[in-house]
Amino acid sequence: MSRVSRLSCLAIIGVSLHVCAQQPVAPATHNDVVIKNAVVMTVTHGNIQSGSVYIKDGKIAAVGKDVNAPSGATVIDAGGKYLTPGIIDSHSHIALDDDVNEATSPVTPQMMMMDAFDYQDKAIYRGLAGGVTTSLLLHGSANMIGGQAVVIKHKYGAARDAMLFPGAPRSIKFASGENPKRVYGSKDQLPSTRMGNFAVQRAALVEAQDYMRDWDDYNAKVKRGNNDAKPPKHDLKLEALADVLRGKLLVQIHCYRADELLTEMAMAREFGYKVRAFHHALEAYKVAGDLAAQGVAIATFSDWWGYKQEAWDAIPWNAVISMRKGVRVAIKSDSEDFARRLNQEAAKTMRYGGATEDEALKMITINPAWIIGVDDRVGSIDVGKDADLVLWDGYPLSSFGLPDKVLIDGDVYFDRSLPGFGMPHYREGE
Amino acid sequence: MGKQSFSRQALETVVGRWSLVVGQLLLAYAVSFHAETAWAQAKTVVLKGGKLLTISHGTVENGVLVISAGKIAAVGAAGSVKIPKDADVIDVSGMTVYPGLIDSESYLGLTEISAEDSTNDLIETSDEIMPHMHVFDAFHAESELIPVARLNGVTNAIVAPQTQDTLPGQDAFIQLDGKSANDMLRERDIALPLNFTGEQRRNETWEKRKFPQTRMGLASQLRQAFIDARDYSDRWAEYERKKSDTTKADGKKDSPSPPKHDLKLEALVPYLQGKKTIVLAAKDASDLQTAVSLAREFHLKFVLNHISHSQRVLDYVASLNVPVIVGPIYEDPKDFERYDAVYKLPVELNKRGVKIAFASYDAHAVRNLPYAAGYATAFGLPHDEALRAITLTPAEIWGVSDRLGSLDVGKTANVVVANGDPLDVKTDVKRVFIEGKQIPMTSRQTALRDRYSGQ
Repeated sequence: MSRVSRLSCLAIIGVSLHVCAQQPVAPATHNDVVIKNAVVMTVTHGNIQSGSVYIKDGKIAAVGKDVNAPSGATVIDAGGKYLTPGIIDSHSHIALDDDVNEATSPVTPQMMMMDAFDYQDKAIYRGLAGGVTTSLLLHGSANMIGGQAVVIKHKYGAARDAMLFPGAPRSIKFASGENPKRVYGSKDQLPSTRMGNFAVQRAALVEAQDYMRDWDDYNAKVKRGNNDAKPPKHDLKLEALADVLRGKLLVQIHCYRADELLTEMAMAREFGYKVRAFHHALEAYKVAGDLAAQGVAIATFSDWWGYKQEAWDAIPWNAVISMRKGVRVAIKSDSEDFARRLNQEAAKTMRYGGATEDEALKMITINPAWIIGVDDRVGSIDVGKDADLVLWDGYPLSSFGLPDKVLIDGDVYFDRSLPGFGMPHYREGE
Repeated sequence: MGKQSFSRQALETVVGRWSLVVGQLLLAYAVSFHAETAWAQAKTVVLKGGKLLTISHGTVENGVLVISAGKIAAVGAAGSVKIPKDADVIDVSGMTVYPGLIDSESYLGLTEISAEDSTNDLIETSDEIMPHMHVFDAFHAESELIPVARLNGVTNAIVAPQTQDTLPGQDAFIQLDGKSANDMLRERDIALPLNFTGEQRRNETWEKRKFPQTRMGLASQLRQAFIDARDYSDRWAEYERKKSDTTKADGKKDSPSPPKHDLKLEALVPYLQGKKTIVLAAKDASDLQTAVSLAREFHLKFVLNHISHSQRVLDYVASLNVPVIVGPIYEDPKDFERYDAVYKLPVELNKRGVKIAFASYDAHAVRNLPYAAGYATAFGLPHDEALRAITLTPAEIWGVSDRLGSLDVGKTANVVVANGDPLDVKTDVKRVFIEGKQIPMTSRQTALRDRYSGQ
C-alpha cells in the first residue's frame, strides 16, 4: 500500500540521542494567561465543566471552576470548548531528514538522534497543528540495538535547542523480529533469523558486562593506589550499553510477536535491566498478563495491521484488552500522518473494546509521558506541570474535533484562526 | 448455473478475439445482475425504530425499513409502512440505519500481507502501458481483509491496481460478500485508471534510469498508445467494412486478411470510444492540466482522482464538470502549504458544486473509509455531503445508483445498522446486510479477540 511505504515501521527507522540528559534552556519570559470557560479534561482528575486554567511562567499555576489570576493576565475565552493536555507521541521519526537508521551494524547504541535532529522539518508543525506538543524521536528498527532518542517539544519557529525537552531522560531503541533479520539477512550477514537477532543482542550485552568489569577492575586498582594500572579503552558503543545495564537509559523495544515480547523480557531479567515499553506490540493482547506483571508499557497502533507478517495477528482490540489486564497503553503515531490525528486514533479504543473517555485520553497524554519519562512534567492538567495545552473546537475523541490553539510552556505556538501557517512564532522565509 | 457460466473460464475463451470488448461488456452485464438474488434471504426482515439516513430523501426518525428478496421493499416513518406479518422484526431503536458504504478505490483482494510479495498481485511494473491487465483475474475472494472491511459497513468497492504505471490495468467493482470471485464481482473492467502523478516515472536512480524518465516521456508514451489504439480500431473497422462489402464492380467479394490482434490496444478501444470511464489521477495542478489536456485530445470520458495539491486551480476543476475522487485527504501537504490544505479540498470542491467521492486507497484500511469523510466535515464539508460522498455519489459515478447508494425502494438491500454517526470513529457497526443477507459480524480479527480477551 502506498501508505505502508510511507510509514517508518516498514522503512525501519532509527535515532539516537547523544546528550546525556537534555540540557535545560532558560525559559522565555511569559505573560500570565488565563483560559476560562472550558471543559477542562484534566486526565488525572476528571473533567471540569466551565473550568479555568491559570498559567504563570509557562507552568500551570491553578486549575478549577474558578482560579485566582492577576487582572493583567491575558484571557483566552474557550467558549465552552474542550481543553486537554498537549498530545504526546511516544514513537516518532519525524524531523530526522531520513537519518533514521544507521543500518550498517546491528548494534549501534552510540548513535545520537540529536545529531540528526532537523528542527526545521515542517512535520513538527503539522503534528503541532494536530495537537501534539511532545514527541520521542527514535532510531529505527533496522538494528537490534539502535541509537539514543531525542525528546522534543513542537515549538515550531523556535531555535533548535529551545525545542529540546529540558531534562528529559535518555531513551534507547532496541528492535527485534522481521526488520533486523531482513536488513542484515539480505546482506548475508548475521542476523538473518530470530535466533540470530537475539544472539547478537546477547553478545552485545555480554560485551558490555565485560567492559564494565574491566573498568571496575581498573578503578579498584587505582583506588588501591596501583599507579601502574592501565585504563581500558573508552568505547562509546559499550559505554552506552553499560548505561543500559546500569539502568540509566529507558529501554524502548520495537517488538511485535508474543513470543518475542516474552524473550525480550527474559533477556532483560537475565541482564538486569528494565524494559520501559514495547513499541508496536501488536500481539501484546496475547501475553498482556506477563507484560503487566513486569510493569512494561506498550506504545501501539489503534488499528493498523497486515503490513507485514508479524502484523498479521494485529487486532484493533489490542489496546483495550491489554489495558484491562493491567498494561499501561499508549497510542503512538510512528508516522507523520497519524501524528496529525492521534486524538482520533485514541478515540478508536472507545469503539474497539469500550475504553472510557479518560482511558482513551490517557493513551495519548499521561501514558506516553510515562513511557518517555516525563509524566511528572507533562501529560495532564495539574498544577506545577508545563502549560502544554490544546484548545479544541469540538469533542477531541471523535472524527470531528480540531485544535484551535496549541500552547507549549504557556505560549501559543499554533492558532488556527491566524492566516498563513497559523503560527505566531513562525513566518515563512524569515 | 445459467448465467453463472459467464465465469472466468468463459471469459478466457473469448480473449484474443475482437469480440473481447463486447464479450466483457456482456459479461459485466451478466455478472452485475445474476447474483442479485443469489444471497437474498428468503425471510422478510424489518428494521424498526431506527434513524434512517436515506441519503436520497433526508433523515427519518423512528423509521421502518423492510428488506425482502434481497431488496429494500419499503422505507418510511413508523406507521406509514406496513410491516409484513411473517417478517423477522428487529428493533433498532437508538441506532442509525444507512446504505452500505462504497469505496471508490481499494486494493481489496489483491493483497494479503503488504510486505510478503507472494501475497501481492497489485500491479505489473514491467511496462507503463498495461490496460490489458484486469484486476478481476487476480481478485482473491477469500481474502481475510474483506470481512474486516465489511464489518465497518463497507459493502461495495472499486478494486484498482496500484498506481506505479500510467495505465496499470482495469478496475473491477465488487460487493463484499459471496462465496467466490464470480459472486462478488459486480462489474469487471468498470474503468481504467490513467495515472499522471509523477510517480510513474522510471527514475528511481540515475544509474537505473530508463524511459520514461520524465513527465514528457510519460505523456508522449500515453499519446502514442492512444494513437496506436485509434489506428488499431480503424484497421479493424476497415477490415470489417471490406469483408462485408459486396458492391464491387466485378461482383467478386473481397477476402481481406484480418489485422493482427493486440490485447493492449484492444483494451483501450472502449475508452477511446467514450464507452467507459477513465479515472484520471493527478496531484499537482500542473500534472492535472497536462493529464486533462491529454484526455481531451482523445475525447476520453473521465473522472478525476486525487488532485491533492491543486488547490489553486479549483475553479478550473469545477469548469471541467466531472466528479472528483478526492484524497487521500491524509496526504501530507507540501511544505509550502498550510497544514489543512489537503483536508480542505473536499469542502472547497463542494462549494464549487463539484461532485465528490472518497476512497480508502488501501486494502487493510478500507474499514476507515467513513472517517476520511468525517474528518472532511471537521474542515467544513457539510455532514450530508460527506455521507453522500461514500454512498450515493460513488454509486452515481460508477453507474450503479439504480441499485446502490441510498435507502430507496427497489434498491439492493445493502444496509448498515450502527450505534451512532457513521462518520465518527467511536461508532460501532452492529449489523450489516448485503443483498438482504445479514452477514456474520466475524472476521479473523474477532476470532483472535475472542480467543484472547477472556483469559
